[in-house]
Amino acid sequence: MQYKFKVEGKYMNIEEYITNIQKKFPEIIKAEVVNTKRLFVFIPKDILLKITDYWFNELGYRYVIVTAMDSKEGFEVIYHYSDDATGWMMNLNVLLPHENPEVESVTPVVYGIEWIEREIMDLLGIKVLNHPKPKRFLLAESWPEGEYPLRRKNRQENR
Amino acid sequence: MGFKEKCFKKSLWVFHLSAGSCNNCDIEILDLLTPKYDVERFGMKLVGSIRHADVLLVTGIVTKKTLPRVLEVYNQAPKPIVVIAIGACPCTGGIFASGYNFAGPLDKVIPVDAYVPGCPPKPEAMLAGVVKLLNKK
Amino acid sequence: MGKKTVVPIGPYHPLLEEPEFFKLYCDGETVVDMEWETGYNHRGIEKICESKTFEQVFYVVERICGICSTSHPFAYANAVESIAKVEIPVRAKLIRSIVGELERIHSHLLWVGLAGHFLGYNTVFMWAWKYREPVLDMFEIITGNRNSYAMFTIGGVRRDISAEQATQLLKVLDDVKIKTDLLVGAVMDDPVLHARLKGVGILTAKDIHDFGAVGPTARASGVDIDVRRDDPYAAYDMIKWKVITTPEGDVFAKAKVRLLEMYESISIIQQCLELLKKEKVGDIKAKVKEIPAGIGIGHAEAPRGEVFHFVKSDGSNSPVRHKIRAPSYTCIPTFRRSCIGGTISDAAIATAAVDPCYCCTERMTQVYDHRTGKRLMNAEELIKLSQQKTEEIRKKIKV
Repeated sequence: MQYKFKVEGKYMNIEEYITNIQKKFPEIIKAEVVNTKRLFVFIPKDILLKITDYWFNELGYRYVIVTAMDSKEGFEVIYHYSDDATGWMMNLNVLLPHENPEVESVTPVVYGIEWIEREIMDLLGIKVLNHPKPKRFLLAESWPEGEYPLRRKNRQENR
Repeated sequence: MGFKEKCFKKSLWVFHLSAGSCNNCDIEILDLLTPKYDVERFGMKLVGSIRHADVLLVTGIVTKKTLPRVLEVYNQAPKPIVVIAIGACPCTGGIFASGYNFAGPLDKVIPVDAYVPGCPPKPEAMLAGVVKLLNKK
Repeated sequence: MGKKTVVPIGPYHPLLEEPEFFKLYCDGETVVDMEWETGYNHRGIEKICESKTFEQVFYVVERICGICSTSHPFAYANAVESIAKVEIPVRAKLIRSIVGELERIHSHLLWVGLAGHFLGYNTVFMWAWKYREPVLDMFEIITGNRNSYAMFTIGGVRRDISAEQATQLLKVLDDVKIKTDLLVGAVMDDPVLHARLKGVGILTAKDIHDFGAVGPTARASGVDIDVRRDDPYAAYDMIKWKVITTPEGDVFAKAKVRLLEMYESISIIQQCLELLKKEKVGDIKAKVKEIPAGIGIGHAEAPRGEVFHFVKSDGSNSPVRHKIRAPSYTCIPTFRRSCIGGTISDAAIATAAVDPCYCCTERMTQVYDHRTGKRLMNAEELIKLSQQKTEEIRKKIKV
């Protein structure tokens, strides 16, 4: 099946769409389609705000959620957006190092993203820079500082 | 039968405390008030403040964040108070017992008079639990 | 700006008995800002899921929320099945859709009842919950439990719907339809409700986009999204139905969308039952040998909006990361737009309008902090205030 993405007044299929976005943002590391209707775009963290602004404001994608996880290579932060006209899930994948993970806050672009960024700070200890309200969100007041429930003990086994 | 026990025979006022639940038991408690079960015919009703209550119904696992609040509610309750644990979560922790935010089953936190297990227990089971408890008193 | 007064709502919820804690900053009668405190219900489900097998996770995600106990397994099944690349039998697809839509009916009835309670229409509350009972009984007949159905499994469903059950279900649906007519009549034609709900808690399409709000909240603001149509799963592309939208964005519009959606749900179930007759009895599960390594994203339309599940597998028998996003997570922050500028007596119904579900949001509930010193008004008083306003309007228009 052909999926038509409307980009800047033109309709394109997924291959053209990927070429287009790679031309627009040459910093993109890679872009791949996973399963059906799921596009993952791997980016360095410095173009995060630019590409988010393009997707969210220009193409009008809906913000869904942010997933953060602790994996072998580092902390993966995945920003999920949804293109409701085609039903595709568009994902921005940012890889952060295990030591001193920091990422810029997306709140200036996507207003509603505030909560999940606080949750990520709580549960994984990833520092979100320039967050408007970096307060504890989910964990109890008595929870010890510097302990993060979703960090792994054994990264090689992913557990 | 002492005076206090006699007071517990009729028109129990119930306070509902959700300590970290999934809403299932809470909805079923509310269901008891609606026309099909209608516990109000026994004079039972939900009250908005623990200070008016005879019975404290607790649902859900006690999470670390609710633990101090559960204790505070219990301390504010007029004594004697009957505590009933509704559902598998306050009884044992149920499916969430292995979670990092679990502060222990309810009876480790406050004294519990009756347990109504089930996930969620049927409204009939909750009524049966209350009746059994009252008969024992 | 004048002096601000802080009105804490909760930790008892004005809507239900779930705990959450709002701080309304008021200037006189007007709400000028709002803050939210949460975490009471955080149970750490995402971490628990990592220690369960793929099959067991169904029973954990079912208990994220007792009301959406089909939607979460639905989204999770979509995610896992997309990793394993399984095509599930048509009969299983139909049964999944039937259970999903039945859940929508019971959830919307529940909401209508609670909204009625807030406005001081306790008759509506009792009615709606009374009409909900036959639906729950039907659940008990089909799945074996009133809530938490345990119907789903990887590759299909666990129980079949027999011909007798189908006939019984149709009868219940006819009954629900009559009762829905009654409720729609009671809500749509009531001048007091018009005066009380129209123009209250307005959310524009831009607000919806800013917060990423979904479901009836978005559709009531004219944003035409529905996962069932946009990214079809289960049997939703096999049948005819339409997405209900309305442009107003106020509380009345949200009520309208939910009530009209119930008719759609009834029609979807009827069509599914019709199609079910053609499928072979007992063909309800595809064999799934193993879940390979990979990433799966599944979403499903719950009564409150889109449920999102992200599953990462490494080829072993349990997920390595499972991220869950419930619809209330993006809908609740919209209170900041819908309540601000309104009066305190409207705050209760404006917050209730998105049908917030805290256990979903925090995947964790309850606070009692009335003695922090700043307390002016608790949830009960707030509901009373809301009910008084209805009473005044009622007198004014002499109904």
